[in-house]
Amino acid sequence: MKSLHQRIGPWLTKYLALPSDVILELPRITMIGQIHVYIENHQGLVTYSETELKLKTKKGFIQILGSSFVLKTMLPEEILLEGTITEVKFLPG
Amino acid sequence: MKKIQGSYITGNVTILVKGNMPELFFQKCVKRGIPVWEIKKQGKMECSGKIRLHDIKDIKRIRRETNYKITFIEKSGTPFLFKRLTRRKEIVLGLLISIILIIFLSNIIWEVKITNVSKDIEKKIVKQLNNYGVHPGAWSLSLEPTSVIQQKLVKDIPELLWVGVDKKGTTYFLEGVEKSIVKEKEVHGPRNLVATKKGVIKNMYVSKGLSKVKVNDYVEPGDILVSGKIDSIGDSDKKKKEGKSKFVASEGEVIAETWYKTKVTVPLEANFELLTGEKEKKYSLKFGDFKIPIWGFGKSEFKNIHKELNENPIHFFKWTLPIHFVETTLSEKTYNKVKRTKEEAIKIGIKQAKSELLLRLQSDAKIISEKILQETTENGKVKLILYITVEEDITKAEPINQGD
Repeated sequence: MKSLHQRIGPWLTKYLALPSDVILELPRITMIGQIHVYIENHQGLVTYSETELKLKTKKGFIQILGSSFVLKTMLPEEILLEGTITEVKFLPG
Repeated sequence: MKKIQGSYITGNVTILVKGNMPELFFQKCVKRGIPVWEIKKQGKMECSGKIRLHDIKDIKRIRRETNYKITFIEKSGTPFLFKRLTRRKEIVLGLLISIILIIFLSNIIWEVKITNVSKDIEKKIVKQLNNYGVHPGAWSLSLEPTSVIQQKLVKDIPELLWVGVDKKGTTYFLEGVEKSIVKEKEVHGPRNLVATKKGVIKNMYVSKGLSKVKVNDYVEPGDILVSGKIDSIGDSDKKKKEGKSKFVASEGEVIAETWYKTKVTVPLEANFELLTGEKEKKYSLKFGDFKIPIWGFGKSEFKNIHKELNENPIHFFKWTLPIHFVETTLSEKTYNKVKRTKEEAIKIGIKQAKSELLLRLQSDAKIISEKILQETTENGKVKLILYITVEEDITKAEPINQGD
């Protein structure tokens, strides 16, 4: 069943133009220049420091690097990061 | 975001989490549905963040499950503001005292202005007002309403025809109209004195004019008692000429005995209420229909109560607050029943009849004697028909029409 679900997902997004973040349970990352990152649909915080933020997702991790990080808001499945962002990386789990 | 907005009103706290990987503590909070914001890593083992005030309980529960150390660094929001304010008791107390003082001063009489009357009467009014408790510096809440003061003043100062009492803020304005006592217009021209009532003359004193009646004469109303027309005696022997008689304004007093028939009924049994003089005062504040007692609680011990209410609005500067200060005076009263014997009833009846009669007559009238003409007892009432003899002045001036 799981494999079926995984196969149907991309098909739905491709042919029915449904938002991919919902269907595929992928994180949606919105960035405003260098200063803000808004991440939805993540699975939890792994590490956080002034220079690094690591979030778990369904398939691995998202790593954000930069400096003077502040988590402006933190709600379940939502994070707003403020600071100077230099890198956004996807790390395989 | 919505959860965070408005957190200033409900209050929020900044906490500092110490331990290994402190950010994971916040992760746990978020998983439980507690919003966290402004998370900052202070060091390797320290992390600060803001939470809502009412989430503290849950935070403490989470802390128990883990081994992080939590310290509260900063508090902000209105609940803390209030707390700080109440902690500074001097300010709150000062504020309260000043408001009370303003209310107090707004309800004090500062001035009593009396206009339109002469100095003499003004003094009298001030004296009377002092008796009623209306004077500068008096507490105006327990005073009677202006209309009552008005009535009392007119009653107590006979020289006043009318007085307007108006309360404006902390000032009483009184406007008086004096009775200009006009002396009865004397008839200066020639006049006679005539009788106003029938009676037997008892005493006469004539200073001017010619008396036409003698003591013990019976007169009817309209009879001339003292004539202003004097015929000179010298001329009367000769042929009378009308132009020769002299006319004067006659003056004098004729006291006559007059009679009155009056009827009185006196019940043999009477009920009346009597105040015992025991009094109780209760004070309360009234908001609309709602009353809060502030002094004098509990039920009165009096069995029968005569209640008097005195309501006064409370002022704040020039505004009238929708709060009334109510003074309730409870006076004890007793219901009395009196049974009279017939003799007592008759006595009371005579007394009553006399005082009623004296009210009707002039002040110089004197009651000489009374006689019971008829006496009947019916339905528990004594009916009396009295015959009262009075001595009084019966004269009235009447100008002589000379027919010019």
